[in-house]
Amino acid sequence: MNRKFIGITALLVVIPLYAQADAVSELEAKYQSQGGGPFSAAAGEALWNKTFIDAKTGKGRNCTTCHTTDQTKSGKHARTGKVIKPMAPSVNPKRLTQAKKIKKWFIRNCKWTLGRKCSAQEKGDVLAFLKSL
Amino acid sequence: MLNQMTQPPENFSKQESKVRVWDIPVRLFHWTLASCFIVAWLTLDNRYLDIHVFAGYLMGGLILFRLLWGFIGSPYARFRNFTFSRLEVWDYLKGVLHRHPPRFLGHNPAGSWAIHLLLGIGLSIIISGLLGFGGEEQQGPLAGWLNYPQGELMLEFHEWLSWLMLVMVIIHLMGVLVESLLHQENLVAAMLTGFKPSAVDAVSSASHWKIGSAMLAIIITVSLFWFQGYLTETPEKRYQPFYGSALPDNLLWREECGACHLAFHPSLLPTRSWKAMMEGQVSHFGEDLFLEQNIVKEIEPFLVKNAAEQEATEAAWKINRSIPKAETLLRITETPYWIKKHQKISDAVWGHPKVNSKVNCAACHIDAEVGTFEDAAMHLPDDIEATAITE
Ligand code: HEC
Ligand code: HEC
Ligand code: HEC
Repeated sequence: MNRKFIGITALLVVIPLYAQADAVSELEAKYQSQGGGPFSAAAGEALWNKTFIDAKTGKGRNCTTCHTTDQTKSGKHARTGKVIKPMAPSVNPKRLTQAKKIKKWFIRNCKWTLGRKCSAQEKGDVLAFLKSL
Repeated sequence: MLNQMTQPPENFSKQESKVRVWDIPVRLFHWTLASCFIVAWLTLDNRYLDIHVFAGYLMGGLILFRLLWGFIGSPYARFRNFTFSRLEVWDYLKGVLHRHPPRFLGHNPAGSWAIHLLLGIGLSIIISGLLGFGGEEQQGPLAGWLNYPQGELMLEFHEWLSWLMLVMVIIHLMGVLVESLLHQENLVAAMLTGFKPSAVDAVSSASHWKIGSAMLAIIITVSLFWFQGYLTETPEKRYQPFYGSALPDNLLWREECGACHLAFHPSLLPTRSWKAMMEGQVSHFGEDLFLEQNIVKEIEPFLVKNAAEQEATEAAWKINRSIPKAETLLRITETPYWIKKHQKISDAVWGHPKVNSKVNCAACHIDAEVGTFEDAAMHLPDDIEATAITE
């Protein structure tokens, strides 16, 4: 009974970790095949905090506009005010577990923040940064 | 018996003696009913619907009790001792005009008629309120008896009756004032203490304190039970007085349409709006949603099937009927009903860090996630003054 419980708990803890490693390594391999790498967490962090000026509004935008500067805390969507759960996988184990989801948000968020697509290198760097949190 | 209770005013000054006319249950009934009536008028705003409804239930319970007490209560409380013919009322009123009406220990003929009317109107108010509440809000014991439009009509009747009752109350108060002046006695004090000066041989009521205490205990228990949610709520988990029936849900929709903002329930916009929105997903209010076809294929039917036309909630019904048929609005916040409901809210509130935007419904509506938008589930963030929305 007790063993079973420990076993299930252990599985519940381990599965997301695997999924995260899976999703991230799958994407890293993909970005490498597109000419990216090696990836650096420091470069990712720099991009994460870099401010881009939006052509239309003239206002500065960066990833922290919605995700805040502290990735262990909840952020807030800049346009709607909706709470966005912490990005650091250490406090939010669901983060970086689905390759599809990550891809989709890279498309959306890069377009909104940078006004263009992110390069394979940039995406790999950001992942290296985020997974270290 | 009536004759014993009727005395010319000259008599009592000679033989000073006190008689208990109003027993405790009658007094408790009287003042609690009056309080309920005032509270109900003060809680017309949807935000206080739970208090308003409670005042109504209490009023209903009190009136039913009073009807029973009119048969089994102490002498002055019994209907048969204050039932007068029209002629008697007329005679009494003539006496008032000549400034010399006969004195009654219990209810005088005019007052008796006022009380019968007040009880009758009061009961009609409660019944129409229950029917309206069951129709327009689909809540309470009569939920579902009427549909939304019928419920709305019933509430209009409810309001009209309440004005009638207010007029009756004012007449009643004037009557009390006039009689107090003409007989040089304080009728308000009598309703508080129960006693009136009288001749020695007049019938005196028992205090019925046991029944009075039981009434008080029931009122307090029921109030605590009704409002207990406020005692246990936390700033994170606000107390919600009324829950609507569960609305249709869909996991994929929640995930895809609930990431950037609240997953606005399909019941908040009509079919044509959702179709147009999914068609235009590449330019969704300035965002490209990049939704794949297989995702659209699941979400769109869910939106369409549960759109406002289904009238799953009061809000759905009211939003839908407020939109001109020829218009396809993409924003809930641009529908006439939404605009009307939120027009008193100042820009300062919309810009408040805890609100941020009009689309952040969850900042003010406890049940925004579920989509029911019940009337009494509106709760402004704590540091916004309630006055910010009442002009
Ligand atoms: C306009 C607001 C906004 C901005 C700016 C923004 N994001 Fe996001 N991001 C979101 C939202 C909303 C989600 C989905 C949140 C959720 O699932 O809880 C998200 C999710 C993500 C995810 C997926 C995380 C996961 O759950 O696996 C990644 C990766 C991401 N964002 C990266 C970025 C990067 C990189 C930037 C800057 C280039 C950025 N975001 C800027 C709103 C934003
Ligand atoms: C990438 C982020 C994002 C996603 C995903 C998204 N929306 Fe939106 N949506 C927005 C933004 C930004 C607005 C405009 C907010 C504003 O102007 O205040 C908006 C506005 C809306 C509005 C109008 C709100 C109002 O009444 O003013 C509706 C309705 C809506 N979205 C429905 C949906 C539906 C349905 C989906 C899923 C198919 C969806 N959204 C997915 C970003 C998103
Ligand atoms: C700043 C706070 C605030 C926000 C944000 C907000 N509302 Fe409201 N809402 C109110 C207030 C105040 C009322 C009026 C309540 C009343 O009549 O007593 C109201 C009333 C309503 C009603 C009528 C039912 C009722 O409670 O009386 C509906 C439906 C509604 N809001 C929907 C929405 C939707 C949908 C959104 C998001 C698109 C939204 N609201 C955003 C404050 C807000």
